[in-house]
Amino acid sequence: MVENARSINIVASILLLIGVVYIVGPLYLTLSTASQSYEFMLRNGVAWYPGNQLFANMGKVITETRIPIQMLNSLLVAFFNALATCALSFLSAYAIVYFRVRWAGLVFALILVTIMLPLDIRVITTYQVASNIFSPLNAVLDVTGLNDVIASVFGTPAHLELSVLNTHFGLIAPLVAHGTGTFLFRQFFLTLPKDLLKAARMDGAGPIRFLFDILLPLSRTSVASLFVLTFLSGWTQYLWPLVGASTPDMQTAVVGLARLVPDADGQVPDFPMIMAGAVLVSLVPLTMIALLQRYLVQGLVLSEK
Amino acid sequence: MTATDTPMGTAIRAAAADIKLSAVTKAYDARNVVIPPLDVELRAGEFTVVLGPSGCGKSTLLQMIAGLERVSEGKILIGGREVQELEPKHRGCAMVFQNYALYPHMTVAENMAYSLKVAGVSKAQRTERVAKVAKMLGLSDLVARKPGQLSGGQRQRVAIGRAIIREPGVLLFDEPLSNLDAQLRHDMRVELADLHRRIGATSVFVTHDQVEAMTLADRILILNKGRIEQFDTPKAIYYQPASVFVAKFIGAPAMNILRVTGDGDTLRLSDGQVVANYAGQGNFQLGIRPEDIVIGAGGRLKAAIRYREDLGSHEIIEADLAGQPLRIATPFGDEMDKTSSFSFAFPQTRLHLFDAETGRAIPNSFRQAEAVRRSAKEYQ
Repeated sequence: MVENARSINIVASILLLIGVVYIVGPLYLTLSTASQSYEFMLRNGVAWYPGNQLFANMGKVITETRIPIQMLNSLLVAFFNALATCALSFLSAYAIVYFRVRWAGLVFALILVTIMLPLDIRVITTYQVASNIFSPLNAVLDVTGLNDVIASVFGTPAHLELSVLNTHFGLIAPLVAHGTGTFLFRQFFLTLPKDLLKAARMDGAGPIRFLFDILLPLSRTSVASLFVLTFLSGWTQYLWPLVGASTPDMQTAVVGLARLVPDADGQVPDFPMIMAGAVLVSLVPLTMIALLQRYLVQGLVLSEK
Repeated sequence: MTATDTPMGTAIRAAAADIKLSAVTKAYDARNVVIPPLDVELRAGEFTVVLGPSGCGKSTLLQMIAGLERVSEGKILIGGREVQELEPKHRGCAMVFQNYALYPHMTVAENMAYSLKVAGVSKAQRTERVAKVAKMLGLSDLVARKPGQLSGGQRQRVAIGRAIIREPGVLLFDEPLSNLDAQLRHDMRVELADLHRRIGATSVFVTHDQVEAMTLADRILILNKGRIEQFDTPKAIYYQPASVFVAKFIGAPAMNILRVTGDGDTLRLSDGQVVANYAGQGNFQLGIRPEDIVIGAGGRLKAAIRYREDLGSHEIIEADLAGQPLRIATPFGDEMDKTSSFSFAFPQTRLHLFDAETGRAIPNSFRQAEAVRRSAKEYQ
């Protein structure tokens, strides 16, 4: 119910104002701190008003820290995470909707369950698997007794080992499988006319041609929105890059920002430089949101349906 | 303007293929049999309308011919070639869908040319064929548009264009007119009939609309629960329905079916009124079309009027005849008296007699030979 009453308008405006201050306040402090010098901060504490040192601080971030290479890492992780997620979700939704898969309902339900088990919950097991991606296979060999057979034939049980920790692949792979993406595409495919596939078959197009000639062009906006959403979430990932990458050159920018705070006690962190770094790191997702806002909104609407 | 007199002299014209189904069966499991073994032969170049109520298996039948549904058992021969195991593209069929199923992201030209593109036809040839088909269907000005910018009738035409561009031997239509409004449906019907004459492909047209069936078909195949009720010319189906099901399905308003009893001499209603002379004993179902009943003129039957509908050109009267409902269509322009009861007669030659149990027609029960002879002559 929308009432057009003056008193309600005033209250609503006040509430909105509080919200704006709550959100914009920290952002303002970030910017104002980033534009003051370290000395200014040591002298005056919190920087309530902006200074003129923003570019100097940014230069310091670029030349004196690993943030540039870490931003490149972030870019790689976010981009390939988004790309792989789109491809995987698209294909699995295609299989579920357009093919008569046995237990398709169950498979879809299991995919949806992954939404309830985010990486944050299974970070320890994910770490175990990433430290040796063959560990599940080893476990299967042990449990089924196959290893005893192998041991009796070759003299030693099979034990494969390959760690993907501290690699780009290791940073990306655990983020890729995405129930939300599959759900988004499934919902979209269900809105398309059912006879499209039949028409394409009559025209002589097989499943692969249908996928590339008809389904993919039609899904352009859905792919774009999922890409934007997963890119942003990949860029801002904190927990997994923190755990999965151990050397500074492999860490992502968000983790690198946190590491700019010195570990040693008693030293005042160079907050202006850190804030300048934060501004720098935010620039990429900000640009993305500015340019592709349309798709972002569309994606949010679609995944909510 | 017809396709045959285009200057290029290479009109869209298909080499029609005959279709033969032998013991074709569709069953999802033992309990769920959609089509019990079905044998039917469609001649090359013939326009067959498959007619039946929803759920009678007519769409399934069409999709089995197209190759979109697997055949559980039996054989499908198109042009003498067994095709039941072939992919749709190898069967030489094209299909027009109920909801058009145009590719929304492609222009009209791209939509029509897609099958040629998949088949690897060169771009120059594609453009030429699209131009030809577009001209034939009056779509020349619209080829650059997307389906979303077209009206229902135009979309339907694009769907037909997409189907005929490959000059298929068999054209399949899955209720293509059911999404159009009445006026457009009529226009498209005329256009389709004309198109069929010009292209000459064997056409199979699925519908539940009897008007479409009567006007378009060379022969009508009436399906009921997957079984063939009757497969004949529209005239024969109208004048000599093979069963009560067909009799009720064709004609609007539907044929009256009355329960009568034969005493070896006459057929009587339950209240003793004699409706016809017939040398048979036992229970029968007697059919008479509402438009065949003759009112007044010394008719010996009497009924009470329950309800009357004035349609301007004629009236539909709903009456009660010995406890059974009876519909009567008055002749064109005739004004009925506003009486509550009236007398009428059933002309003997217009009666249809069916078995009381099976509902099958009892042949030669009354003289309808004249009408049937007429329709048989027309078909040949």
